[in-house]
Amino acid sequence: MSARNRLYAALIFLGPALLAVILLRIWPAFDAVHQSLLAPRATRYGFENYIFILTDPVFQNSLWTTLIYSLIVNPLQIAIALALALLMNVAVRLIRFWRTLILLPVAIPQSVSAVIWGVALRPDGPVNAMLVAIGLEEQRFLTSPDQALASVILIVSWIGVGYWMMFLLAGLQDIPKSLYEAVRIDGANRLQQFWYVTLPQLRRPLTFVLVANTVANFLVFAPVQILTQGGPQGSTNLIMNEIYTLAFVAGDPASAAAATVILVSVVLLVVIVQFRMMSAPEDRQR
Amino acid sequence: MTMAERRSRRGGTSGKVAALLTATLIAGPALAQETTVNFLGANSLDWYAPVIEAFEAAHPDITIAYQRVPFEDLNAAIEARIGQGDSSIDIFEADTPRVPALAWRGYLAPLESRRAEIEAAVPNPVDIEQVSHEGTLFAYPMWSSTQLLYYNRDLLDAAGVRAPAAAPAERLTWAELLEKARAAQEAGAEWGVLVQQVDRYYQLQPLFESSGAGPGLTGDGLLEPAVDTDAWIETARWYADLFEDGIAPRGIAPSQTDDLFINGQLAFMIGGPWVLGRYMSAEGLDFGVAPVPYFEGGEPVTPTGAWALGINPGAANKEAAKTFAEFVTLTAEGSYLSISQAPFPPTNAEARQRYIADMAQLASQIGPIHAVMEYELGNTAVGRPRTIGYVAFETIMNRTFSDIRNGADVAEMLEQTQNRLGRAMSRLR
Amino acid sequence: MTRPGPVRIAVIVAIALLFFLPLWWVTISALRPADEIFRYLSPLSTWTFWPRELTVAHIAELWTGPFRQAIVNSVYVTLVTVVVGLVVCATAAFALAVIDFPFRNAVFIIMVISFLIPFDAIAVPLFGIMRGLGLQNTYTGLILPGIGNGLAVFLLRQFFLGIPRELREAAFVDGMGWFGVFWRIYVPLSGPAIVSAALILFVFQWQAYLWPLLIAPAPDYKVAAVAIAQLSSFYDQNFGLVFAAALFIALVPMAVLTALQRFYTASVASGGSKE
Repeated sequence: MSARNRLYAALIFLGPALLAVILLRIWPAFDAVHQSLLAPRATRYGFENYIFILTDPVFQNSLWTTLIYSLIVNPLQIAIALALALLMNVAVRLIRFWRTLILLPVAIPQSVSAVIWGVALRPDGPVNAMLVAIGLEEQRFLTSPDQALASVILIVSWIGVGYWMMFLLAGLQDIPKSLYEAVRIDGANRLQQFWYVTLPQLRRPLTFVLVANTVANFLVFAPVQILTQGGPQGSTNLIMNEIYTLAFVAGDPASAAAATVILVSVVLLVVIVQFRMMSAPEDRQR
Repeated sequence: MTMAERRSRRGGTSGKVAALLTATLIAGPALAQETTVNFLGANSLDWYAPVIEAFEAAHPDITIAYQRVPFEDLNAAIEARIGQGDSSIDIFEADTPRVPALAWRGYLAPLESRRAEIEAAVPNPVDIEQVSHEGTLFAYPMWSSTQLLYYNRDLLDAAGVRAPAAAPAERLTWAELLEKARAAQEAGAEWGVLVQQVDRYYQLQPLFESSGAGPGLTGDGLLEPAVDTDAWIETARWYADLFEDGIAPRGIAPSQTDDLFINGQLAFMIGGPWVLGRYMSAEGLDFGVAPVPYFEGGEPVTPTGAWALGINPGAANKEAAKTFAEFVTLTAEGSYLSISQAPFPPTNAEARQRYIADMAQLASQIGPIHAVMEYELGNTAVGRPRTIGYVAFETIMNRTFSDIRNGADVAEMLEQTQNRLGRAMSRLR
Repeated sequence: MTRPGPVRIAVIVAIALLFFLPLWWVTISALRPADEIFRYLSPLSTWTFWPRELTVAHIAELWTGPFRQAIVNSVYVTLVTVVVGLVVCATAAFALAVIDFPFRNAVFIIMVISFLIPFDAIAVPLFGIMRGLGLQNTYTGLILPGIGNGLAVFLLRQFFLGIPRELREAAFVDGMGWFGVFWRIYVPLSGPAIVSAALILFVFQWQAYLWPLLIAPAPDYKVAAVAIAQLSSFYDQNFGLVFAAALFIALVPMAVLTALQRFYTASVASGGSKE
């Protein structure tokens, strides 16, 4: 097939998506870059906004909080999602229904999830009532600077793990049954089957989940905005909350734009590292 | 504007061009044709339905289309739409403390030419100040607000505690109130006293004003924070102790505090007139009202300000929008209708009198609420600081109050807040 | 894979119910009188998770009000987004995975960057663009941002890369064109991946909030996520209505998601029968 033929074919297949992405994502993002380089009432480009936010202890704290949060929440969610996918990958009656129950939290508006968990985790709420009922001590959850981030992780995981489970389930469907039979003939036990067949065969779906989940967690916003507004004492001030605060509350869209550019750069860096880590030789030669 | 233009705008084929045309072609005679005024707000359409209906009956050539966004997103909607030159919003609800910031950004059309009419209908200077920025009028004053002390009669009776008097002269000090609250708790009330909007500056500013600590902002244009003074620390510590000592509950969202009072778990509640609806209809709840307490040696202070109506400077139907706004705020009929569903005192003087007379009918049940409200609105009302930095200030303060009530170190918190406010305000100066 | 024992089934059911418990609380809260919603939170009692008094008042109020139109709008907008979005994203993913053309890596990087950009942070300039195109208060304005989904493209590309290249080489020998290869070979082999991509498109649009609020504020175009936020006011939140609305919003995806899994279980069943 000629190079020209391939180029035309690619253009036709890619055109609509490329157009949509450039017009509706990349182009408006350039507006943010442009704004981030203009300080309030400035007429020339400069890095004043970047210097301002990078020297701001609140923004620094927000970056740190986001990084710590990401380091905990991503492995946790992926491990749980993978465990759930393996557990739920069976043919029993009603299995689709049970899976849907786990997936359902992702489909209800986050404003409602936040209300539910805000009530559940109230100091006088049902979660504490349960803890007391089984003889444990009451916890402060969202009102304590030491427990609030953990509470947010609990909430976003309740929302998210079912979603990620579905992608891994789809990946599990795709593993040829013959591979399992082959290693079983060699006497492999369940753990070895998982290690030598399931995990390598899940590499692509896992790459997807790793990257997509990392991005999603960097961009978490609604639960924080509704439940804690970044508090107590800045302990849940994830970067998207800080960007929203700067843009729409503090009336400082220039700083918000600079923060957005920093966020996208950080996520891009992380994602590139993940691609490198997860890529296999056969992907590169294609 | 001609019908053809309007249709093309609606059909959306040449939005920008048509918007530009209409923005430059606005003229009086346009009112002769049928006009749709788009009205953006955060409050329930139910509140406006009666006044819109009456207005449309009186002005058959104008239709009001109300577009609602939640309160938390109103600012984002105004910023995005009016900030991007959207002419399809004609009139919008402006929260009075936000008027300076909105005016400064050019999102509000000045209304100086209507000053005489506005001041004639709304004579109270506090209400006029609430819609001004640097001496210029920028919105039509619509509603005001105040606060009352609500108490649960059954819980006080069970404790043998005398109910607080309704006469402003016999207003309780905070120390006296806490004594009663503690007694009620000893007799079985789960909680003693709570401020309905537990961590919002609107409701907590009066504490700091009454104790003499001040609003927390000083300097030119009120852009310098002053929340780390000894007086501020002392008052904030007093507030923190309510929660530390178990008189008030921690970790409850402002939207869920009413249920504590309705379910008989709380002896005293400080709240606005908007709680009346649910309290009056709650089964088995016997309550009364009194003026809010003050700090001994300080002044009694109540918050005020509520919603005003602003006009988009780039509105497609500016004149029709003004006609509507003036019907709602400057005529007694419109003003009174605007509060038939909304739980606020109107700023219009004539409508205010009728509102107070209506409130008097509740007196036999819950005490002379009308007298308390009239006194507070006229004598103790203090508005929030008039500054372009108000939104940032309020949000940062609300978070600080939330941390303080949940047990953070008060002095340390206020020092951090002082720094954060300083940085935020420096971007506006 | 062995047939699941009773312990494993019990664990599956227990975990599913644990995930559902908060939503169960929403369900009963929607069905009880408003003043009872927060009454039995603590200490734990039967009434915490079981309504003492049943009422359909909240459901009835919603169903007779403008919320019904909002649900219809949401379903329509989401459906179109998923269908059109699948075509747009699958063809793009096919080109990125299969066709060798200049700047392929650059295009792929653009797709990746597109889903790293926080959508809410670009909503304001995007609003300016869409308003310029006259798309305010139109279904098109609501649908367009959901269609070109970089994440869905990425997912499908990952999957297409795993389909052996011998298959398409054989098809070319048989005289099939690019479209034939895409439609006859790649799509039929990608059932679970396409369902997953549909899930991405679905969740993006079903959850969308700030964008619909800006681009389609007129009541005729209001979507469910916006309508539910408008049930609460600053002064008074009607939790009974909010929870009833959440029920409606959850029911549609529940039905769709359960049905769509047919594409998953089919192959599981065939795997199981080989035992």
